[in-house]
Amino acid sequence: MKVLVVDDFSTMRRIVKNLLRDLGFTNIQEADDGSTALPMLQGGDFDFVVTDWNMPGMQGIDLLKAIRADASLSHIPVLLITAEAKKEQIVMAAQAGVNGYIVKPFTAATLKTKLDKIFERLA
Amino acid sequence: MSIAMVGHVSLEQAKSLVEFLEIGQQEKADALIAEIQNPTNSELFAEIGKLTRQLHDSLTNFQLDSRLNDLATADIPDAKERLNYVITRTEEAANKTMDVVESIFPVVDNIADQVRAVNPAWTKLMNNEIDLKEFKTLCADIDTLLVTTGRETTHIHSLMTDVLMAQDFQDLTGQVIRKVIDLVREVEDSLINMLTAFGISAEQTQGKSALKMADNLVEGPIVNKENRDDVVEDQDDVDDLLSSLGF
Repeated sequence: MKVLVVDDFSTMRRIVKNLLRDLGFTNIQEADDGSTALPMLQGGDFDFVVTDWNMPGMQGIDLLKAIRADASLSHIPVLLITAEAKKEQIVMAAQAGVNGYIVKPFTAATLKTKLDKIFERLA
Repeated sequence: MSIAMVGHVSLEQAKSLVEFLEIGQQEKADALIAEIQNPTNSELFAEIGKLTRQLHDSLTNFQLDSRLNDLATADIPDAKERLNYVITRTEEAANKTMDVVESIFPVVDNIADQVRAVNPAWTKLMNNEIDLKEFKTLCADIDTLLVTTGRETTHIHSLMTDVLMAQDFQDLTGQVIRKVIDLVREVEDSLINMLTAFGISAEQTQGKSALKMADNLVEGPIVNKENRDDVVEDQDDVDDLLSSLGF
């Protein structure tokens, strides 16, 4: 399974990558914002996207909307891992078609639970 | 105003004018002339004069408050530099810690693999089911395991010390951030003084002004969750909200 991790902070990308590797995801690529991520997604056969919300350039929510609006990408599950914690934003993400929403700071166990749930639903 | 009204002098005013001139009150005499010539304008001029004086005083006060100038030209740029230092140091610490942790993972995995490898023969030994050949192999494997574990635990111990030392940023960044907080407090005081000088009371506006959010909704980490009802407390709240939406 090919995963794209999108976050503007390299340390957070590294943490997420390590956690995903522990959960058995070995094919992981990185992007530092939505506008870098989108062409990568369009050019490669990614199966899963983990993204931050607040990033310079293209925000995570806009990346999510762009993925859902693109027929060739719309099937890809998207997990938001973000410090954004306003109810309004969570509702907005749900309406935009997010598959999971994790608020930072988060734990390895939370990530595992959300991933299990996402893939269980898709199965 | 009709032109006919201009220049009407009353007897009373004429008397006062003479009186002012006789006792040498030139200023008052001039003012009276001005009032006689144009009663409305003289009030207006007086008001403008008053405002001009106030404005002048206010501006003079600002110039005197050279601290404000220092804040803008020296302290605030310095604070930006300090905060960039915090970003750099915390990023360095995070990377240093992750470097070490990532180097420990394979070492621990290697030990776990070796333990797993000796386990079946060891179980046989414990159950008195082992033959001599297996026993010899087991002895060799355990010897390797002991050597590896001994070497790697010493190595891990020194790596853990590196992780420990990587946390020294907290002391330094803590001091830097405390300085910046002091500066913010000083700027706040100066701004309140400025508002007061312009006759705007800080309390008056306090209730009305809520923090403005960027157009794109993002706010970053919520630091005052307990005072807010528009944010979630934790992951459980997120999950509850999503499931209430039929998620």
